Amino acid sequence: MTAIIETQGLTRLYKDNRAVDGLDLDIQSGELFGLVGPDGAGKTTTLRLLAGLLFISEGSATVAEFDLASQSEAIKPNIGYMAQQFSLYAELSVLENLLFFADIYDVKKDKLQERVDRLLTFAGLTEFKDRRAAHLSGGMQKKLALSCTLIHQPPLLLLDEPTTGVDPVSRREFWNILTELHMEGTTIIVSTPYMDEADRCSRVGLMYEGKLVICDTPKNIRAQLKGDLIEVFPDDWQAAHQLAQTLPGVLEVQTYGETLHLFVDDGAKQLKAIEKSFNKNGISISSIRAAPTRMEEAFISLIRRLEDETSAK
Amino acid sequence: MSPIYLYTIFTCLPKSITMLRRIIAIAQKEFIHLRNDWWMPAFMLFGGVLELLLVGWATSRPITNLPIMVWDQDQSAASREIVTTLINTDTFVIEDYVSDMDTIEDALDRGDINVAVIIPPDYSEKIADPSGQPTLPIILNGAESIPALAALRAIEGVTRDLGERITLQRLGMSPDEFESFIPSLRVWFNEALNEALYTTPAELGLMLEFTVLLFASLSLSREKELGTLEQLLVMPFSSLEIIIGKAIPVIIIGFVDFVLMLSMVNIAFDVPIRGSLLLLLILAFGYLLVELGKGMVISVISRTQHQAFLLVMLVGMVDFMFTGYAAPVEGMPKAAQFFANIVPAHHWLEIVRGILLKGAGLDVLWPHVLALAILGTIIGTFSLRYVRRALD
Repeated sequence: MTAIIETQGLTRLYKDNRAVDGLDLDIQSGELFGLVGPDGAGKTTTLRLLAGLLFISEGSATVAEFDLASQSEAIKPNIGYMAQQFSLYAELSVLENLLFFADIYDVKKDKLQERVDRLLTFAGLTEFKDRRAAHLSGGMQKKLALSCTLIHQPPLLLLDEPTTGVDPVSRREFWNILTELHMEGTTIIVSTPYMDEADRCSRVGLMYEGKLVICDTPKNIRAQLKGDLIEVFPDDWQAAHQLAQTLPGVLEVQTYGETLHLFVDDGAKQLKAIEKSFNKNGISISSIRAAPTRMEEAFISLIRRLEDETSAK
Repeated sequence: MSPIYLYTIFTCLPKSITMLRRIIAIAQKEFIHLRNDWWMPAFMLFGGVLELLLVGWATSRPITNLPIMVWDQDQSAASREIVTTLINTDTFVIEDYVSDMDTIEDALDRGDINVAVIIPPDYSEKIADPSGQPTLPIILNGAESIPALAALRAIEGVTRDLGERITLQRLGMSPDEFESFIPSLRVWFNEALNEALYTTPAELGLMLEFTVLLFASLSLSREKELGTLEQLLVMPFSSLEIIIGKAIPVIIIGFVDFVLMLSMVNIAFDVPIRGSLLLLLILAFGYLLVELGKGMVISVISRTQHQAFLLVMLVGMVDFMFTGYAAPVEGMPKAAQFFANIVPAHHWLEIVRGILLKGAGLDVLWPHVLALAILGTIIGTFSLRYVRRALD
């Protein structure tokens, strides 16, 4: 495998604010790389830098073996970039949008028809091909945008929160498409606020305040979390939350709706003890069980730790 | 041809073909926008024609029927005669006869009348008295200066005749024995001093500026506002391709608009084309490119279409003031006169008026054409550099 993206100390300044701060990324060809982090962490800026939309303030980067600072024009035909907000031409029809992209990326006439048909089928937009993009649903717009970025079959895709604001069914469909592309060998870098999506990536980079704090497989990231997860469904979650924080062996408490997620030092040993403590204090619980850690809990735990560190400084 | 030259042609050819293809693709896309967003091209093509139609129509007829109020304190044959003479000029129409000052003031305040004539009680007495000095107080509504000037002109004519008659009477001469001083005035280029012949060519020139400026200024600001510029910038475009692709529809629509407007003023208001039509069209094309450059700069500066529109208004108004259309440049302070000379629209209006009304050719208009060419080159080069820098 060869590196398709390599950055050394990649930095972007907005006045004095370091939106992206010394990023060292190394993404191999064929990866499905997830970029996660809270809002304002620098995910969008990173993707825009890699797409050549912003000038690099410090550091260097190569994308598809071209230098980002000096050869950004040569990079453009090799990437497909999908912006966070809808950025197609709303007054153009689905087909007109696709053909416009094909013209710009110099798709050969003999391959055009086949490729357009394939993408329309792929995105489930065949019957809507004459509809104006403005009149598509949010999910269809995202799929059209993805199709447009795929018309020139770029080896590298940069997708900025492609599923934000999309209903769960469309979201799943969208990810099925991404998985298919991934299998075909396309390198995909996707930023997302959804942790279940991060779980589907081959590698995840967590950004916080412009820095890449963790970059590993979802499995390894979850393993970094100390302790085991116990899921508690109490009847009165507020009282249960207060109590849980005082129990011995509980490292961290997260709420998830009215459910409590407790990180404990030893799941097998503590499960019974915690159940007992709840009963003793008169807090009834409808169920309690050991659960596997997901990216969601890992993410919240990591962000909390980072926030504590920042405020301690 | 040297082999190296041939080699260059063959290697550059495919590149320029893809370049051409991308330019056509972007121009095509612009036309699809126009097709689907019909009010925009409708405004660009017919807004100017409509504006010219209204201006021409409003200014092509003389000012008549200005409401006048009369306070006749004399009630004599002489007082009635002067009122009748004023009405007979067709400039005025009687609003009312009144008998106090308050009503007149009130009517002036409300804008019901443009003129009030107050005939003093001793008016006929003083006319009859060989040494009398009759006076005729007249109040004009100066808040509306164009009707006021028309009224003044009519009143001056009437009183000059009356004064001449009184003088002859007192000298005991008959009008046949008297030859007064008559200036021999001849008006060139607009024999009837038809105002439409002055306003419509100027408006024609200005509407071309406004249309091109507005259309060009929306071209990129619109993509910025909708977030689509980002998509264009990640595509393998050179900035020059984007600029040319965006400029083509502006040039086509602007030029068609000009031809439409020119035909309209020619047919509807008898504005003549005394000079060379071909020269006018060529210069219109050149001028259009100058304004295109300005519009593109506004377009890159603005973040939204709204902002671009306001900037066009600002630039357009400043240009308008220095074209010499509203107030002659010759009457401006020296610094303003200099500034007027670096406003392309000023030279353009001189060219339009020169070719249409005076039948002037390049032999006469060359200073303006040269000025336009120099300003155009400077503005064009600057715009191209600026817009390319902003897009890269």
